[in-house]
Amino acid sequence: MSTPTLYIPRSSELHALHPLTKIAMMGVFFVAAATLPNLWWLLALYILGLLPLAACGRVFQPFLKSNALLIWPFALSLFLIQGFFAHGEHVLLQLGPLSLKEEGLWLAAHFTVRLLVWLGAATLMMIVTRPDKLMLALIERGMPRQIAYIILTALQIIPRFQDKAQGILDAQRSRGLETEGSLIHRLRMLVPLVAPLILGSILELDERAIALEARAFSRHGPRTSLTELADSKSQSVLRWVCLLVMLALIAAWIVRRTS
Amino acid sequence: MDRIRREFTTLTLVLIPVAIAINVAVGQLVLSLKVPLYLDSIGTVLVGVLVGPWAGALTGLLANFVWTITGLFPEAVAWAGVAAIIGALAGAFRTGDWMKVWWKSVIAGLITGIIAAVLSAPIAAYVFGGVTGSGTDALVAMFRGAGLDMLGANMAQGVVSDPIDKAVTFFIIWAILLALPDRFMARFSQE
Repeated sequence: MSTPTLYIPRSSELHALHPLTKIAMMGVFFVAAATLPNLWWLLALYILGLLPLAACGRVFQPFLKSNALLIWPFALSLFLIQGFFAHGEHVLLQLGPLSLKEEGLWLAAHFTVRLLVWLGAATLMMIVTRPDKLMLALIERGMPRQIAYIILTALQIIPRFQDKAQGILDAQRSRGLETEGSLIHRLRMLVPLVAPLILGSILELDERAIALEARAFSRHGPRTSLTELADSKSQSVLRWVCLLVMLALIAAWIVRRTS
Repeated sequence: MDRIRREFTTLTLVLIPVAIAINVAVGQLVLSLKVPLYLDSIGTVLVGVLVGPWAGALTGLLANFVWTITGLFPEAVAWAGVAAIIGALAGAFRTGDWMKVWWKSVIAGLITGIIAAVLSAPIAAYVFGGVTGSGTDALVAMFRGAGLDMLGANMAQGVVSDPIDKAVTFFIIWAILLALPDRFMARFSQE
């Protein structure tokens, strides 16, 4: 079954890393983007940090493409809203009562690049990590396995629910439900569309619960996992280094703030 | 502790992923119908109302993680805390018997929407520079133009759009509770 995740299976060193190592690396990008004060640092973080990593994971093109799709609505809104409404002295363009200011554009650029690093780090993490391995890594560190069940099951059934929603929409249309028209009309038609989807799916819950219980889901005690995660001493060292870098970045930020 | 353990039965655990899938499917459906609402927390409110505040909160939290993992809405994780509070509030309103009458459900939705708007605004303002990259940014621009600062404009935008969205969500859940068979409701009875 196809799951709607960002994951792209490739054989690369980045894919082969332990999920926790990847989380630690992305954590560094998150903290760095949040604490570094300068636009050029942030840009360097993306170009010299995330892009080479994506190339190393052999996902350069899909990574760049998903980032571009993701960032442009933010960038557009940011440049318009901050450009025209942020406080500033240097007016670049006067449009009636509105003025485009240089300071606003710099602020917009800063926010855009910071978002690019954040969203880039999060998407790269998801592109090179299989969701079930990520969950397994977290379970091994003490996350309740019920959480993993919830997330992985949700990922698996989402396509089925989207199909179901589309099916209900088609069925109601063929019975004469008008899906165009005034806003009030479109609001009223939400109930015949949403109710069958929800009612249908919660009435089959019992079957799911029985299926789980038949496999001793709520039994206590240790479990064996089908997949195994490879870890190494050097990766463990790398994770500690990442943690120290994050702490150093935060400390530097606090020092700058207080001085 | 006892209350939490009572909420998380196997039936609850199978309900939560279904609720998350409902969030995604309905959210996408509404998007394609061009209704100016999100309706992306119907499943979360459903769990809160059927099971209780803890289960509702967990559903909201994990739903936003799932939105991020699917790549449909990668920035969702920034709002995971707000989503959790929406689920918890739904549970609280059910415990307070607000979900029995339609207009009380609508008021519960309005209150939830206002709280969600106030909590979301600082995230939108300080994390995302005051934008969400969607149609509601036009409202933010309008409020900025009217002289509000970034946080104020985001809060005003939220207070305009969120309560209506949550009121419709709670109303739909009220209608669904009516349609559910009693024998099913009894499985989730909170006593």
